[in-house]
Amino acid sequence: MGQHGGVATRILTVEDDERIRTSLRLALEDEGWEVEESSNGEAALGIFRRNPPDVVLIDIMLPGVDGFEVCRSLRRISNVPIVMVTAREDTHDIVAGLEAGADDYLTKPFAPKELSARIRALLRRVRTAEGPIKNFIFADLEVFAEEGVVRRGAEEIALTKTELRLLVELASRPGRTLSREVLLERIWGYGYFGDSRLVDVHIRRLRTKIETDPANPRHVVTVRGEGYKLQP
Amino acid sequence: MAARVSLRLRVSVAFGLGALVLAAGLSLITYELTRDNLLTRREDTSLARVLFNATQVSRLIDDETTEEELRELLQNLYTPLGARPVIRFGDLWLSANPVEFSEPQIDPLLKDTVAGGRAAQMRYVVGETPFAVIGIPYFDINAAYYEAAPLDDIAATLSSLLIALLTGSAITVLVGIGIGIWAAQRAVRPLTDIGEAAEAIAAGDLNTRLEGADPDLERLSRSFNQMASALQDRIERDARFASNVSHELRSPLMTLTASLEVLRKRQSDLPVRSQTALHLLSADLEHFKQLVADLLEISRYDVGAAALETEDFEILEFVQQAARASGQSPLLTHSVHAAGLVVRADRRRLAQVMANLLENAHNHGAGATQIHVERLESTLEIAVIDAGPGVPHEDHDIIFDRFARGRRQGPGARAGGTGLGLALVSEHVRLHGGSIRVTDRGDGQPGACFVVALPLDGQ
Repeated sequence: MGQHGGVATRILTVEDDERIRTSLRLALEDEGWEVEESSNGEAALGIFRRNPPDVVLIDIMLPGVDGFEVCRSLRRISNVPIVMVTAREDTHDIVAGLEAGADDYLTKPFAPKELSARIRALLRRVRTAEGPIKNFIFADLEVFAEEGVVRRGAEEIALTKTELRLLVELASRPGRTLSREVLLERIWGYGYFGDSRLVDVHIRRLRTKIETDPANPRHVVTVRGEGYKLQP
Repeated sequence: MAARVSLRLRVSVAFGLGALVLAAGLSLITYELTRDNLLTRREDTSLARVLFNATQVSRLIDDETTEEELRELLQNLYTPLGARPVIRFGDLWLSANPVEFSEPQIDPLLKDTVAGGRAAQMRYVVGETPFAVIGIPYFDINAAYYEAAPLDDIAATLSSLLIALLTGSAITVLVGIGIGIWAAQRAVRPLTDIGEAAEAIAAGDLNTRLEGADPDLERLSRSFNQMASALQDRIERDARFASNVSHELRSPLMTLTASLEVLRKRQSDLPVRSQTALHLLSADLEHFKQLVADLLEISRYDVGAAALETEDFEILEFVQQAARASGQSPLLTHSVHAAGLVVRADRRRLAQVMANLLENAHNHGAGATQIHVERLESTLEIAVIDAGPGVPHEDHDIIFDRFARGRRQGPGARAGGTGLGLALVSEHVRLHGGSIRVTDRGDGQPGACFVVALPLDGQ
């Protein structure tokens, strides 16, 4: 279950509360993941540089460098899947975490099984509902889906896996509108009532990367009351 | 408390009454002055003419004058403006126009006065025409001269004047009321500003303050702003407290949840007694987690930190998802107009509303049998119907109170639910500007019907 490409998947948990950290490690190891612990942001960044994990789990409220900052620092050097953990259902915290680069978030207390499901969804290969996708060209972008590379001319655009999946999902039906619910299910694996802010913030991040004028998007378009669509 | 008339109405009425008194007074004076003036002038000219005519007559008659001569004399008198001369000669009354004015039309009082040897004048109405009648007695012969001058032209002038004055007064009163309304509005505008600020604060905009208030109301606006600041401080402190409580409660629950999961994985290794304890622990941890979640959610309302986060979505699709998520399979029905309807609402909160209603149906009504979506003129109604025992009528109002379930079933009963589910439903729906009610099923079958009504403004 926790196997990823034959090797056990490593999760780095960044959590200052020792009891939570230990209990999470036990539970996650039961789920089959290999767990590395860190009690603060600086240590986590050090571990990441020495031996990058497959997934990072970051608590927002950390002493010293807070979770948002750790997330931003990681994003500057990596596209690793990041799950934010918050103890408050505060919109501001959640949106700020997603803006900082988190792929998904969970609110304490969550079931370790739920966390495993989230991690598995993030680690899934880039593919659409119809199956694996080929490389394609969209507007002035060349998308190498398997390699996870997007190029505009000679410039390489670094997309996270979630952003790439969003792009690929929208591109698989150009001109057709996909609702937030469909995107939540296909990309994040939420059956019911996923948080539509996940989609909105990721769409925003995708726009800042691939649109020439992100404030007036020409390609990733909002359809009011329905969802999003991609147009050339 | 007796119903108070609004300040604005009172000021307007006062201005209206003032204008009425002023206009009526001026009109009355104008009317009386004009009337006196017109009548006096007319009487002056009449009197001069009557004296002239009376002198003419006195010169031409004596005891021997015949009736024929008198008639001729009457016809030859100068009578402009339709004046009607009448002569008494002994017992003989002669009139120039017997049809229009003759002896019987002369007031007896005037006759008596003239008969007494004094000239006199009277104004009265004959038929519909007002007349000024003047009588002159003769001393050397038994005769008198009367002349009636019709005043109908003056009456017409006066009635035109009266209409003009009444119209003018009415306009003045209306203008007065208009000025009153305007002045009252000007006067209460600072109060309107305060009212709007208070409403904004009540609606959640805690940063609202009064600025540039009228100098007369400075003290009021200063204390209003102080009150608003104090309120804001308190709400923010409460919200911070709730947020800290949230963090402090969730952290140990996280450890408990993760640790219990580790234990559950190994429950078959545990002795039976430990397994039983583990089950109890698991069940109550779930209950406790839900209770904490509901308490934190409802405390946001108590500290005024609950704000809608709206988005547009299709309501039928949403209801379908909610039903699927609950694991129940109620019949989904809707009115024709609800098809494809996109609403703007707080999806997360509405999802909780549906989940709690469905859970309630599960705990107390053997599961929902039907969910009906009805689009009315300006509201959307979602009815969740079950086939359980229904809700007794005396509980219809209190069922949405917090922990109402405990009161009804007595302490000790803890079958499912936190006791906050329906209270949260009510709060969420109210935050949307909607309402929730519970009724019997319309079809006579036993069961409860919870109806959520949401406003469809501007959709």
